[in-house]
Amino acid sequence: MARIVLQRLLVSVIRFAAAGLALIVLIELAFCVIGGSDRHVWRAESYGPVPPGLSARPVSWAGLLEDRVRVSLPVLFICVPGILLIGYSWGILGARLRRFHGARLLAAPFSLFACVPGFWFVVLVAIYSYFHWKRPGFADDLIVEQGPDLLTWWHAAVVALPALAAGAASQIRAVSSVLEREVTRPYLRGLFMAGYSEEDIFYRHAFRRALPALFAAGDRTFSALAGSIVCLEYAFRYPGIGSLLVEAVRLGSYGGILVSAFVLAAFVSAGVIFCESASRLIKPEAAGG
Amino acid sequence: MNRRQSKVLRTLARLVIRLWQMRRVLLLVVPYLFLFGWLFAAGSRMDVRPGELYGVTDEPAWGSPDADHWFGTTVNGADLFELSRLAMATSVSVAVVSVSFGIALALLVTMLFVFDPGEKRFELPNVVGQSGFLLPSFVVLLVLTGGSGGSLGVAILGLILVIAFHLCPVLTTWFQEGEDGFDIVAGYALGLSRREIVMNRILPKILRRLVGVFATYVPVVVLVEMALSFLGFTGDRLSCGAMIAYGQGLIIEAPWMAIYPGLMATAVVLVLSLLGWRVSSAMRTGPLPRLF
Repeated sequence: MARIVLQRLLVSVIRFAAAGLALIVLIELAFCVIGGSDRHVWRAESYGPVPPGLSARPVSWAGLLEDRVRVSLPVLFICVPGILLIGYSWGILGARLRRFHGARLLAAPFSLFACVPGFWFVVLVAIYSYFHWKRPGFADDLIVEQGPDLLTWWHAAVVALPALAAGAASQIRAVSSVLEREVTRPYLRGLFMAGYSEEDIFYRHAFRRALPALFAAGDRTFSALAGSIVCLEYAFRYPGIGSLLVEAVRLGSYGGILVSAFVLAAFVSAGVIFCESASRLIKPEAAGG
Repeated sequence: MNRRQSKVLRTLARLVIRLWQMRRVLLLVVPYLFLFGWLFAAGSRMDVRPGELYGVTDEPAWGSPDADHWFGTTVNGADLFELSRLAMATSVSVAVVSVSFGIALALLVTMLFVFDPGEKRFELPNVVGQSGFLLPSFVVLLVLTGGSGGSLGVAILGLILVIAFHLCPVLTTWFQEGEDGFDIVAGYALGLSRREIVMNRILPKILRRLVGVFATYVPVVVLVEMALSFLGFTGDRLSCGAMIAYGQGLIIEAPWMAIYPGLMATAVVLVLSLLGWRVSSAMRTGPLPRLF
């Protein structure tokens, strides 16, 4: 087990380094080659201290990163378990009910919600909050000074909800398609002919054999989630890591771009390590398939 | 008494029969034609600037939604419904162009590896794909468009590259799956060359599925393009994203200016998504679906 985890960790470090290199090349290409800036990405003077536009108080890069990550954590805390829980449970159920187009029906509410532009949804919440609750709608308008900080969780939930809906819809489809592919294999027909019940065939054989592929199906969700919170956080004036990236791009701050993009890449990388390790650790034969 | 049918009647009958045979395709194509026709009926003016429509003056001429203006009017009195339709037409055009070129680029890149007879021919694209996925596509687009000053051309270029990057691993998987069929093994046994097998057996099946890919990607790219324009990274150009972004500043005085463009965007993306899922499932395998 340790060997597999360490192996995946090493692979991830190499991939992370490659992604970092790609990001640096991208910044140089966008800002200097296309944008015509003379601040090259390899020059130390292109970075400097944290610009005032990224933080109201004087702070180091590490301090800024800590502040922004702490704010973004509740959003990820809602999104990641929500997507995995809904995606896997409804996806498995959808594949089980494939005769009745279960996966499509179960994913439909999330897919429909995913058609709503997320930034528009958070603006709607801000408008509703202003007119119906008589309080400023955006996340940067009010600070709780005493009592339980429920407002933080409310703001995190508003940002998380559109990202969660899109992620859950794609996860349900991915999980059910893996299982639906597994149940078309010829050995299951043999089991059916041998007199096994449908439930037995699905849960004790097809599901167990598909477990590695099911775990592997989760890796792309993290990338999509990281991308969607960038726009949502900025739209809701939520001062998280996604907002930091947009503000840094606007200000042309290479330090801010690198810091925020590396954190997002690290988050995706952690998710990929988890999915790949789990998919390699689980052996379908040992699961009794 | 037997009478010969006239030529016109025979042609008409043949046309009706042909249309009946094509009914499943028409059920998918006609809604697209209606949607695109309706969107582009508003024209394709690229000179409308959202800054002019939403810039508050001393005496704004805006009006809330009524029977004449379903979505209300902007600061200069322009109809918001027509502007939203115009904005969506532009977004859909951008998406169609980006997805078309993205698919073409992905196919071109994949074809560079397909004819290689080695077992590990797709190793390189797979390794590159796995490393690149650590960097979210939206982050790449953001840096590219934001760093270059925000122009539509760069946004389209970025979208094409991102789509091709996402699609290459999918295409390699399809090519690999396509080579596992019994007919392919039989083709090799009969002495067909790799080129003949790829071009005549595998590629046609993949090309058929690409129509579904196109239909599924278009609504996603429309959403991404609107998100980029919401952040102000596609230039000062009319888009529902930019309209919502400008409308945010007026949510107390004129909330309809942020609400209704988003409603139009949601409706168009929803219709495109529903059609896309249907086309995708129809084009995957087998005959076209019986019911739309």
